[in-house]
Amino acid sequence: MNFRRFGISLIAPLLGVVISVAVTSVILVAINANVGDVFSSMIRYGTSPRAMTLILNLATTYFLSALAVAIGFKMNLFNIGVNGQYVLGAVAAGAVAGALTLPKIPSVIITILVAMVVGAAWAGIAAWLKVARGVSEVISTIMLNFIAIAIISYVIVRTSVGHETSLNVRGTKEIAESGMLRGLALLDEGTKIYGFFFISIFIGIAYWFILNRTRFGYDLRATGHSASAARTSGIDARRMTVVTMLLSGAIAGLVGLPYLLGEAASYNLNFPTDWGFTGIAIALLGRNNPVGIAVGALLWAFLDVASGQLILEGIPREITTIMQGLIVIVVVISYEIVRRRQLTTEQTRVAKALEAQGVSA
Amino acid sequence: MLKGVKIASVLAAAALVLAGCGSSGDASASATAPTSSVKVGMAYDQDGKGDGSFNDAAYAGLSKAQTDLGVQIKEVNSGSSATDASREELLTLLAQDGYNPVIAVGFAYSTALGNVAAKFPDTSFAIVDSVVDQPNVGNLVFAAEQGSYLTGVIAASASKSGHIGFIGGMEIDLIKAFEAGYVQGAKSVNPDITIDSKYMGAAGDNTAWNVPDKAKAASAAMIGNGADVIYAAAGGSGLGMFQAVKEAGAGHWAIGVDSDQYTVPALADYKDFILTSMLKRVDVAVYDTIKGVVDGAPLVGIQNFDLSKDGVGYATSNSAVEPYKAAADKAAADIKAGTITVNTK
Amino acid sequence: MSQNVAAVELKGIWKRFPGVIANSDINLKVEPGTVHAIVGENGAGKSTLMKILYGMQKPDEGTISINGTELSFASPSDAIDAGIGMVHQHFMLADNFTVLENIVLGSEPRKGLSLNFDKARADISAISSENGLEVDPDALVADLGVGDRQRIEILKVLYRGAKILILDEPTAVLVPHEVHELFDTLRDLKKAGNTIIFISHKLDEVLSIADEITVIRRGTTVGSVNPHTQEVSAQDLAVMMVGSELPTPETRGDTIRDEVVLAVENLTVLASGGKPIVDNISFQIRSGEILGIAGVEGNGQAEILDALMGLENSTGTVHFKKEDISNMSTRNRRELGIGFIPEDRHRQALLLTAPLWENRMLGHQTLAPNSNGFLLTPGAAKDDTKRIVEEFDVRTPGIDVLASALSGGNQQKLIVGREMSGEPKLLIAAHPTRGIDVGAQAAIWDHLRHAREAGLAVLLISADLDELIGLSDTIKVLLRGAFVADANPATVTPEQLGTAMTGAGKVSA
Repeated sequence: MNFRRFGISLIAPLLGVVISVAVTSVILVAINANVGDVFSSMIRYGTSPRAMTLILNLATTYFLSALAVAIGFKMNLFNIGVNGQYVLGAVAAGAVAGALTLPKIPSVIITILVAMVVGAAWAGIAAWLKVARGVSEVISTIMLNFIAIAIISYVIVRTSVGHETSLNVRGTKEIAESGMLRGLALLDEGTKIYGFFFISIFIGIAYWFILNRTRFGYDLRATGHSASAARTSGIDARRMTVVTMLLSGAIAGLVGLPYLLGEAASYNLNFPTDWGFTGIAIALLGRNNPVGIAVGALLWAFLDVASGQLILEGIPREITTIMQGLIVIVVVISYEIVRRRQLTTEQTRVAKALEAQGVSA
Repeated sequence: MLKGVKIASVLAAAALVLAGCGSSGDASASATAPTSSVKVGMAYDQDGKGDGSFNDAAYAGLSKAQTDLGVQIKEVNSGSSATDASREELLTLLAQDGYNPVIAVGFAYSTALGNVAAKFPDTSFAIVDSVVDQPNVGNLVFAAEQGSYLTGVIAASASKSGHIGFIGGMEIDLIKAFEAGYVQGAKSVNPDITIDSKYMGAAGDNTAWNVPDKAKAASAAMIGNGADVIYAAAGGSGLGMFQAVKEAGAGHWAIGVDSDQYTVPALADYKDFILTSMLKRVDVAVYDTIKGVVDGAPLVGIQNFDLSKDGVGYATSNSAVEPYKAAADKAAADIKAGTITVNTK
Repeated sequence: MSQNVAAVELKGIWKRFPGVIANSDINLKVEPGTVHAIVGENGAGKSTLMKILYGMQKPDEGTISINGTELSFASPSDAIDAGIGMVHQHFMLADNFTVLENIVLGSEPRKGLSLNFDKARADISAISSENGLEVDPDALVADLGVGDRQRIEILKVLYRGAKILILDEPTAVLVPHEVHELFDTLRDLKKAGNTIIFISHKLDEVLSIADEITVIRRGTTVGSVNPHTQEVSAQDLAVMMVGSELPTPETRGDTIRDEVVLAVENLTVLASGGKPIVDNISFQIRSGEILGIAGVEGNGQAEILDALMGLENSTGTVHFKKEDISNMSTRNRRELGIGFIPEDRHRQALLLTAPLWENRMLGHQTLAPNSNGFLLTPGAAKDDTKRIVEEFDVRTPGIDVLASALSGGNQQKLIVGREMSGEPKLLIAAHPTRGIDVGAQAAIWDHLRHAREAGLAVLLISADLDELIGLSDTIKVLLRGAFVADANPATVTPEQLGTAMTGAGKVSA
């Protein structure tokens, strides 16, 4: 690891947090809130055991969503369709898991596979459209999001997959306790850390390994660095597009599972449908790096969870949304500035090093 | 079997309590500046107040309780992309901070409220539009189809073209009951009436409640096809229906929902076109819930707010509805008497 | 004419980019009311020079004077204000707009808040008739041919008040009769008092239209000629363009063996319009042989290379050591032992934002020492990168620096080192020493020479005729996608070769 490069890349996120805290303070002053109290209560509450558990659980969801986006970003493929992929994956997984009566391990494995296959298949449509018809994946995945929502409504409202799980709420049949991954109450006695938290750590490691240690990962990164050079080197761009999109969709298929298997037990029509967009923001924050994404997901989840406490103190919860937005904007801009500076400083550094060796470049 | 008996008995008890409230309520309201140690926690779903209908109706009840009963209040909302976990946390924080009763507005809170109610057995909870089977939860449900039947009667009577419209929010059973009652009521007046019906989003599409543009386009299309009265049960999307009707001009009527939208300040621009509104008396339900706690007799079990309990109805604040009142009131009487049964699907 | 103040005068222009000097001491004087051609090979620095003149880049040193006034341009709009207009090689027109709308786009005449199309129409018809540019202002651009579109581009810059027009390779996209029409237009424009700067590397065209020709080589102006007063041939220009100042790389001594490594038959590549850009060519390269292809750039060289690497659709057959590889993927061709040094190292051969050792893997990621098939082996790849850095004298402080931090020459040495690793049987190389210093050039020649002795077959394309003649065992001359002549490197001179490249004469085999 190049520590110098690593150090420089920390500047951007720090700057993002500092500026967003500064701007948020101004807004808080403008609405006559006590700035110190707001931040200290956010931190006090955010570090309480139950809140920390909730943060870890939400961050698990965000982490998976951002990984799905990041794997596409790595080769300049913009999978905006994580939303559609995960809701379909979750419905299918919910329906299958609800019908299963197997011991925990095989049941969970089947549930996970179903979610991944469905997510991948849905992303595969966008991949096929891009490769065979030249349709931009940005457009097709956005459209597929709408179609996915419509399909889900149809399936849950009009087919036998849907049941009325409580008054006015329809969803998939409740998953038996043997099919759930409720997790462990490590921090707080009453709230469990989702079982998927641990699975997602493993997925993060696998993501890193595939990208950095396999030939496929190299091909993917090379395509991201320079599509033309990658093509000249013998990388089949169409195949890469298809495989990457399928992988991205497979990870996206898992996004709903931490919540489905950890808490909800049924995909009902209140299931959130926009975690995919959060994933885009977090992938940008984490610069497509699994550790960066994990940190970004925790930060985002912290702000989300803390907003619940803020609202009790009379501060609109939108304040945390503003902070999240600011962090992303500042971080994206400062990454770009840092990146350009890095290129030129590296060039000067090389020139200097060569001068010191007494040779001319 | 046992469960059914239990709920039935609870219902009976609740009916008694409710009757009690009704008579004693006026007495305490007349006292000046009452104060109470009761702290009410109210949780709206998603973006909360300001929809000019459902959530605002809940707020009206809360606000009345604040003035009349002197309770302290705290309002929170779950935000977009809320999960059961985040809703549960919100309710937990309220219960933890000593709010009692804790009232959840909207069926999305069902699961969360069930969990929290179990954790705080000494706190009273209530939920609007859903049923949670816990001994300390009051389930506030409404016979929206009955109220919609009355607006259907009014719409069909007011229509000159024999063509009316319905704008629904999300296409779910809850809203389809509005449509069913409306259609049945309209056909009771004019069996040959044409009724256009359009939903703003499929089930699960959370944007359905907040797409006034889409509602406006749909309403305008209905008007273009000849409809002259439109009823919207679509939350914040309803605004678009009002806009379309106003643009169509005199001779066209809008029918609001949940609150008396004729009197909602944010809709003042459109009031002249709001013939009536189907009243879902969430305010009554909320007020009664709070009152129950203040009086030491919390409402629990299923509380069905139907015509007979004045839980639903129609608004008369616009005098333009006068000519149709007789027909609507007769229908209401028939429903109460049981001679008319209103469909929910 | 010459007593007038020059329309454009550049003095001592320098422009450096990291690792590259794009322009060094450029001096240029363009008389008003003339067509002034600037010629030079691709990469000689023409486009940088034009970007400087059009305000897209700022020179590091030197001055720009327009009509006798020294000016400094911060952006193209400053250049437009000074009366300079640029007609780009790639048209920038909105297809679904009419001619009129395209011309006014960006400088719309206004009447209050609305657009004054009547005034625009009048202005445009005045400009058209003054300059002999006939276009229908209401035609939809989507319906027009290439020649018409180019006229619209010219009208666009005239409409913005340009009196000095820069045309960047205007004939590259035209068929011969359109070229004639363009030249007629240029003569009319000249007559109307405009000054035209015409950039090209097509020498015969330049000779037929230009009043003055300035030659650029390796970033600097090497001379100007006036074809009206001086006897100049395409061959003279070619010599000025490519120069012959370097020591000839001797690779004499016959190392050619019997084994045919590459056999190409009836190779044809069609351009997007259906016109053949490589036209039914056949050749063979034996083990230990270097085959050079000479030709003015843009005559099909790049397409031949791409077709041989499987990067371009083609017809005909390609055999590598008796195996038919015509339908093989690029990756499989590389795995067989075909090394490739592409024309454009930044776009095709490097991952500029990745470290050197990852660049070492590029194109060879399926083979040892970079991977064991499925998993990468970064340790072995890094060791081998160090070997290349050492053997090919890549000047870098380490193998973890990003490729973009190296100078062009050192980047090229890394690429050559990479492509010659793993004992390739065939090397396909385009301009292997372009843009690199003399020392590195000699080193690369050495490596090629040794590999050839060891039996490597090489297909060499180079704009540097000395290099081509010095290294090749056989030379074929490519013109408009077909071989038009063979040349014997032992006897041919750069001048003769230059002549053959323009299609003006034959060389003895």
